[in-house]
Amino acid sequence: MASPKELSGIAGNTVIGPSILINGKLTGDEDLTVRGRVEGELALTRTLIVEPSGVVKANVSVKNAVVSGVVVGNIAATESVELTRDGRMVGDIRSPRVIIVDGASFRGRVDMGELAPGRPLPERPRTMARPAVRAPLAPARPPALPPRPPVRAPVPAVAGRPPMGAKAPPAPPLPPTVAVGAKKKIVVKKKK
Amino acid sequence: MANTVIGSSLIIDGEISGDEDLVIQGTVKGKISLKESLFVESSGVVEADIDTQNVEIAGRVTGNIAASDKVELKSDCRVVGDIKAPRILIADGASFKGNVDMDVKG
Repeated sequence: MASPKELSGIAGNTVIGPSILINGKLTGDEDLTVRGRVEGELALTRTLIVEPSGVVKANVSVKNAVVSGVVVGNIAATESVELTRDGRMVGDIRSPRVIIVDGASFRGRVDMGELAPGRPLPERPRTMARPAVRAPLAPARPPALPPRPPVRAPVPAVAGRPPMGAKAPPAPPLPPTVAVGAKKKIVVKKKK
Repeated sequence: MANTVIGSSLIIDGEISGDEDLVIQGTVKGKISLKESLFVESSGVVEADIDTQNVEIAGRVTGNIAASDKVELKSDCRVVGDIKAPRILIADGASFKGNVDMDVKG
C-alpha cells in the first residue's frame, strides 16, 4: 500500500499552491508550506511556513512558524514564531521564542510565557553583544520611548541569529544613525 | 506551476478550491473543487464531493465525483459514490460501487 518513503515516516512536505483556497480545519504531523490561502483552523506538530504569496486567516497552533506572507489570527507555537522581512501579521503570538525582524509588520500581543525575574532566559542560543540589543531603540522611534533601562527592548537582536531550519534573510544592517543618545547610555551603563 | 501536495500525515476537514493540480496523500473531508487535475495517491483518503476537470484515483474516495473531462480509477483504488464525466476509465483491480454517468445521449 504505502510506499517505502511514507513508511519511513519522511512524510512528503505539504505545499498549498498559490491558487488553492482551503477553508476548514487542517491538522497534521509534517511541515506545511502555504503559498495560497488557508482559512479556519490550522494545527501542526511541525513547522508552518507562510510564503510571501501565502495568506493564513486562521487560529494556528504549531511547533514553529515562519511568516513571510500574511497571517490574520492567533499563533500559538511550542517553540518559535518568526516574522521575516516580508511578514505581516495581525493577531496574538504565544511562543517561548518570538522573532520579529526589521521590515516585518505586526499588530497584536506577544506572550513569551513566564518571565521570572532573575531567572536567565532559557535556551537563548547565543547572547548578542549588549549594544546590538540596545542601539536600535533610539533611532527606531525617537519620540515615543523615553530612554529607560531596556528591560522590554523588543528583541531586535535576532537579525543575526540563525532561525531554526529556515534560511535567514540577510540581516538588516543596523541603522547607521545610532544617536549620540544611545552611545551615551552605554557609557553610563559601563560606569557601574 | 508548483503543484499543491497534501502530505500523508495531513488531515483537512473543510473545503478546498483552486485553479491548479492537487495531489492528495493524506486525508481530506468535505469538498474539493478544482479547475485542473486531482490525484488521489495510494495513501490518500478522500471523503468529499469532488468537482474537477480530471481525477486520477489510486487511493480511497467516498463521495460523488463530477469531472468535466475524465475520471480514472487505477488498480487498487476503492471508490464509493457516483461518477459523472464524459470519459471514465476503470482499471483491472479497482473496486468501485456507485453509478456511472457518461452523459450518453439517447
